[in-house]
Amino acid sequence: MSAAYAELHCLSNFSFQRGASNADELFARARQHGYQALAITDECTLAGIVRAWQAAKEHQLPLIVGSEMQVENGPKLVLLVENLQGYQRLCQLITLARRRAEKGCYRLLREDIDVDMSGLLALWLPTEKEDVSTGVWLKERFPATLWLAIELHRGPDDDQRLARLQALAASLDVPAVAAGDVHMHARGRRALQDTITSIRHHCRVDEAGHRLFANGERHLRSREGLVDTYPAALLAETLRIAERCQFDFDDLKYHYPRELVPAGHTPASWLRQLTEEGIAWRWPAGISAKLRGQIETELALICDLEYESYFLTVHDIVSFARSQHILCQGRGSAANSAVCFALGITEIDPAHSNLLFERFLSRERNEPPDIDVDFEHERREEVIQYVFRRYGRRRAALTAVVSSYHAAGAVRDVGKALGLPAEQVDTLARCCGRWSDHIPTPERLREAGFDPDSPIVHRVLTLSGQLIGFPRHLSQHPGGFVISEQPLDTLVPVENAAMDGRTIIQWDKDDLDAVGLLKVDILALGMLTALRRCFDLVRHYRGRELTLATIPADDKLTYDMISRADTIGVFQIESRAQMSMLPRLRPREFYDLVIEVAIVRPGPIQGDMVHPYLQRRNDKALVTYPSPALEKVLKRTLGVPLFQEQVMEIAIVAAGYSAGEADELRRSMAAWKRRGGLEPHREKLTRGMLERGYDIEFAERIFEQIKGFGEYGFPESHSASFALLTYASSWLKCHEPAAFACALINSWPMGFYSPDQLLQDARRHGIETFPVDVRYSAWDCSLEPGRDGELGIRLGLRMVRGFHVEDAGRIEQARQQQPFTDVTDLSRRAGLQARARDLLADAGALRGLAGNRHRARWAVAGIEPQLPLFAGQPAIREAAVTLPLPSEAEEMQADYALVGTTMGRHPMAILRPKLRQLRCRDSNELRSLEHGRPVTVAGLVTGRQRPGTASGVTFVTLEDEHGMVNVVVWRALAERQRKELVHSSMLQVYGRLETKEGVRHLIASRLVDLTDMLNGLATRSRDFH
Amino acid sequence: MRWACILLTQLALDGVSRSRDDQAQPLVLVAGPAQRRIIRAVNPAARQLGLKPGQTLIAAQALTSGFAVAEYDQQQIDHWQHFLAAWAYRFSSHVSLDYPRALLLEIESSLGLFGPWPRFEERLRTELTELGFQHRIVLAPNPAAARMLANVHDGLAVDDVALRREVERLPISRCGLPADIVSALARMGLRRVKQLLVLPRDTLGRRFPKDVLWHLDTLLGHQPLALGNFQPADEFAARIEFNFEVNNHQALLFPLRRLIADLHAFLAGRDCGVQQFMLALEHRSLAATAVPVGLLTPERDTQLLFDVARGRLEQLQLPAPVLALRLSAPNLPDFVPQSQTLFVERPQQSQPWEQLRERLRARLGDQAVYGLAAVADHRPEHSWCTDVTGGRAEQHDGRPRPGWLLTEPQPLNDLVPEIIAGPERIESGWWDAGDLRRDYYLVRTRDGRRAWVWRAVDGSGPFMLQGWFA
Repeated sequence: MSAAYAELHCLSNFSFQRGASNADELFARARQHGYQALAITDECTLAGIVRAWQAAKEHQLPLIVGSEMQVENGPKLVLLVENLQGYQRLCQLITLARRRAEKGCYRLLREDIDVDMSGLLALWLPTEKEDVSTGVWLKERFPATLWLAIELHRGPDDDQRLARLQALAASLDVPAVAAGDVHMHARGRRALQDTITSIRHHCRVDEAGHRLFANGERHLRSREGLVDTYPAALLAETLRIAERCQFDFDDLKYHYPRELVPAGHTPASWLRQLTEEGIAWRWPAGISAKLRGQIETELALICDLEYESYFLTVHDIVSFARSQHILCQGRGSAANSAVCFALGITEIDPAHSNLLFERFLSRERNEPPDIDVDFEHERREEVIQYVFRRYGRRRAALTAVVSSYHAAGAVRDVGKALGLPAEQVDTLARCCGRWSDHIPTPERLREAGFDPDSPIVHRVLTLSGQLIGFPRHLSQHPGGFVISEQPLDTLVPVENAAMDGRTIIQWDKDDLDAVGLLKVDILALGMLTALRRCFDLVRHYRGRELTLATIPADDKLTYDMISRADTIGVFQIESRAQMSMLPRLRPREFYDLVIEVAIVRPGPIQGDMVHPYLQRRNDKALVTYPSPALEKVLKRTLGVPLFQEQVMEIAIVAAGYSAGEADELRRSMAAWKRRGGLEPHREKLTRGMLERGYDIEFAERIFEQIKGFGEYGFPESHSASFALLTYASSWLKCHEPAAFACALINSWPMGFYSPDQLLQDARRHGIETFPVDVRYSAWDCSLEPGRDGELGIRLGLRMVRGFHVEDAGRIEQARQQQPFTDVTDLSRRAGLQARARDLLADAGALRGLAGNRHRARWAVAGIEPQLPLFAGQPAIREAAVTLPLPSEAEEMQADYALVGTTMGRHPMAILRPKLRQLRCRDSNELRSLEHGRPVTVAGLVTGRQRPGTASGVTFVTLEDEHGMVNVVVWRALAERQRKELVHSSMLQVYGRLETKEGVRHLIASRLVDLTDMLNGLATRSRDFH
Repeated sequence: MRWACILLTQLALDGVSRSRDDQAQPLVLVAGPAQRRIIRAVNPAARQLGLKPGQTLIAAQALTSGFAVAEYDQQQIDHWQHFLAAWAYRFSSHVSLDYPRALLLEIESSLGLFGPWPRFEERLRTELTELGFQHRIVLAPNPAAARMLANVHDGLAVDDVALRREVERLPISRCGLPADIVSALARMGLRRVKQLLVLPRDTLGRRFPKDVLWHLDTLLGHQPLALGNFQPADEFAARIEFNFEVNNHQALLFPLRRLIADLHAFLAGRDCGVQQFMLALEHRSLAATAVPVGLLTPERDTQLLFDVARGRLEQLQLPAPVLALRLSAPNLPDFVPQSQTLFVERPQQSQPWEQLRERLRARLGDQAVYGLAAVADHRPEHSWCTDVTGGRAEQHDGRPRPGWLLTEPQPLNDLVPEIIAGPERIESGWWDAGDLRRDYYLVRTRDGRRAWVWRAVDGSGPFMLQGWFA
């Protein structure tokens, strides 16, 4: 026998470290059991409710929105949402309770419930000792909407408990209802539930004792079982409640902020006016008919989809940044339109690019516009504070990021809870790798000394496997803002972020997408800081006003430089992988850069799209299309899909996806690593393509690429915006190399290369560099005319490690009044303490005042504190002493230790005679050697990388006095010579030279550690990423 | 005055490895918090594997796994320094511990007894090697010079004439100045003491704390240096920890011999004997087993002491595996060689209750006498434990539980008891392979007793009796 039932009290894994199943599992099981509805009532949170809503739709079982809350010094309640009003009330209540507590906690007070609670139904969960007075208190607040929930879990005496609670309900005249206090979808999760309980209590499972549940009854029970447990009336009551709860997320209405539209305007007319003003600004000489047509089309589309307010919102933020001279650049699906160019959101001139707006914002796909705006790294906070100021904290908040368990974190927490010793937990977690979502393979475990079959390891791994992907806590999105007309806490609960003065909503960006809330990403980009600095330098020293939009386009010299892979410091294409692609791709125009930025990514690499594309570029005869229909989609990339947008279009054109399904695919692509869910698409895509006459190989390749995109989904719309910065930085490197290098160093840390490497590169390009010197240096590096009248780079005091900006400021000030006569004069007028003086002496910055480092150090040590009485008296004259001259090696060592770079010879140049004896060649000689030659080289190890896309290969970058050598170390050698590979600062490599299409690699066959030769020279190395 | 410096080059490592059988096994000493263990010392075998002081333990384990790890323990280091000072005390009445990991001996007055110096030095080296400590020895006219020259020399003996030459040759980095001074001087290009000594004193005095000139003067003997005078301790205590469990007497003999040898070295240094001492065998959870050893008269002879202690040990029934062996000798009377006669065990003096308890234990066996304590675990079999300390009592959480729980459930004789409450389901314990799933009932048997019984969750099988309510 079974009865109809709706579960009204159920936690998902968004009740962190309590719920042991995700919403999907819960709904699938509830549906299987034939429940009528399922409430998700996570503890004082709605963070998981959108996922629950999606699962409810997927499994076609009604969702009841609710939340379990413990009132401080009061009862425990489950609040269920009846209608929109109730939903808003619940959001506000959660916001209230969360905002007054620390991040991750909540405090719900008795008086919080004293307000109007209509729209919410309350289930009272009495404790063993609860008395009538609590019931009376609750009944006053929920006069007709209070139930007493009876939850029976085969405790010591269920019959007696049932009788007692029924009597309590009767005495209060409150209906009783059955509920399950569900913590997991099935009994099989009992071990995981015990484990996460222990994690929550920071103890081991075997110490958790009575903090664990006595049995596994808190799962979704079969209706037969429920009939045995509860009287029929209690079960029937669940349906009455479920029927009352009719709230649906489609009821939520989000409105854009209205204040952006002045009185007398509609959003559409105001957007039109701003666009027209922008047209006059961007094209003072008048706009071409073609562009005018494009703008009209775009405006019509925007109005059609009612996205005017969104564009206005972004425009407002960007205008603020411009007014503060903060450089910014938009990217994303709608950013690179002519309208956005007119509005100043993007700097990509539509006249110079062949990007089509419809590709980014389409009528059919019905996806929300997505504009991310990058701001100067150092000044983004000003923009964020502006948004908070403009809209107020109630209407603007940051998006949450749901931090989920990766394999390592899961193994760590579970291992600890199961009592594995700390060292073993560490080792086991390291087996997992950093971002992996899979438990390690048995081979990997055996390598690390674990027996995968031992019961304890087996338990840890099984439970970790279940825990992977579980949400762990909410953290703050780097810059995703949600702004709304009505207070946000009527849409979604808001809680405190870890950072002071920040609030976050309880949903992440996928949740927002699903519910149709729009967000603006306010992101930070170091390159924008560097570009703005470079523009400032060019303006100051050349009197030339440059902006991202006015940098001369289509410059041949710039593209020549890029094609030579002479791109150290340039945005996006400076990495080793990018640099080895450039000579093969040889970009000649802007769109080539768009491709270049996107092609060296896991997506195209895993999908095996790179080589076909390069071949077709070199030999147009190879360009073919799988079908005429796909020619339209793939023409711009010569028949090879490279961009995320193309993959979606292929799904539509070749596999018969609807626009909505394609959008679904896009989301799955972004999230499959976390939640899975891509397998159904494999089947669907393959089937669709086979049906339409494409071969299985093509289908497989497309699917592989989709998987690759999952990790670093790279759409054309983002690539285009990045390409603009790539072009701008390349142009500057080509035409204003000194200013460019100087700006990069002043913006450091950023990019791929250290200041030392940037300066070496600058010198190789014939730019003079001048050492740090208190007579000339400012805090920042600056430009100075050199011997030939060309601008060179004067190192700034910021290069001196440990030097304070305040000291530098006082030095500059004092120097402006009159030049320094000696170190005593410097020390007194700039108010320098011993530490600062020593640093300047050691850095060689006192060369003009006191001579070499040794003399300078001697001189500053002799400065005595000036007593007021003796002010103005000359310093004591003391006998001159003879100190040893610093040797070249000592100078270099001190340069690297204090300034991080040297103006003297490169260490490899000093060591070159020794290296010649070891028959090492330098990187210059490699250029003239033919493919396949065995060679020996030596150099400083400046980089070691093991990319996830290259199976087990380690790329080592060696640096010598002439440049870099790229070394490839295959896995077998890496394992054999791990010590040399990991620990050397200077390395000698025997190997074979591979030269192909202007790209050189040395395939290593033996490594020799030459670190001793370096004598403790300070070199820095980027270790494995 | 002539001072010998014995620099103990790897004191921490020697202290640990001398209690180990296998000297060839790679061994590292680590220190620091659990998350960041740093290697502080390595033995030659470990160095062969590429392990270095300063590495993190994690990095080392990434490199190789075939090495033993022990704690770098400052207390142990101090202990061994004191132990060696007690040993050195027989060679000089002025032994100083002022320098860490080194002993300074004034030997001028001892030369008559042990000299000449080369022979004396040879003897020191022989005994140190026997005791298992690596060392460097330097002789100089003043203790500071002896100590600092030992940084770069071994076997050097300098007289007043050669002193200045040798000190001048010292690298500044090894001459005993503080690290910040050394680095400041290095930044001025000054690397040898000689370069310092040629600079005008007033210029140095202006630039550096006055200790610098003072230290240079001490090295050259221009300034006297007062050193502390070591007084040997009044009692001897030493302990050897095993890195494995020892189950039989035979395996205890090697460490016992080591302890007795150390005791002997101590007694010889102090010129005294021992009449009674205590061996303690430490176990994992049991209290240490004490083995008092008594002699009729004070003794010092290694073999004799060893034989007596061995005899006492072999009478003993080991109650549990032994993890460490401790020897303590609180009273050390003067040693007057006498005839060697064995003495019987001293009568014990103990408290009446403990005496009774121990008697009971002796009669009934150690396992037969214990207290009870509650444990927070849902599983009845795991919800209580025996308690030997008698101090623990866990609060019960209000569930109806019988006062008498059987160790093992037994079938209930009564086939159809009257069910008073239940079923109460208990599912717990998956983590230690003791997972159980049972439905519990409170029942009344035909004879009217209330019992706590269970049955499998599918309702099959007989009722099993878990316990009786009083």
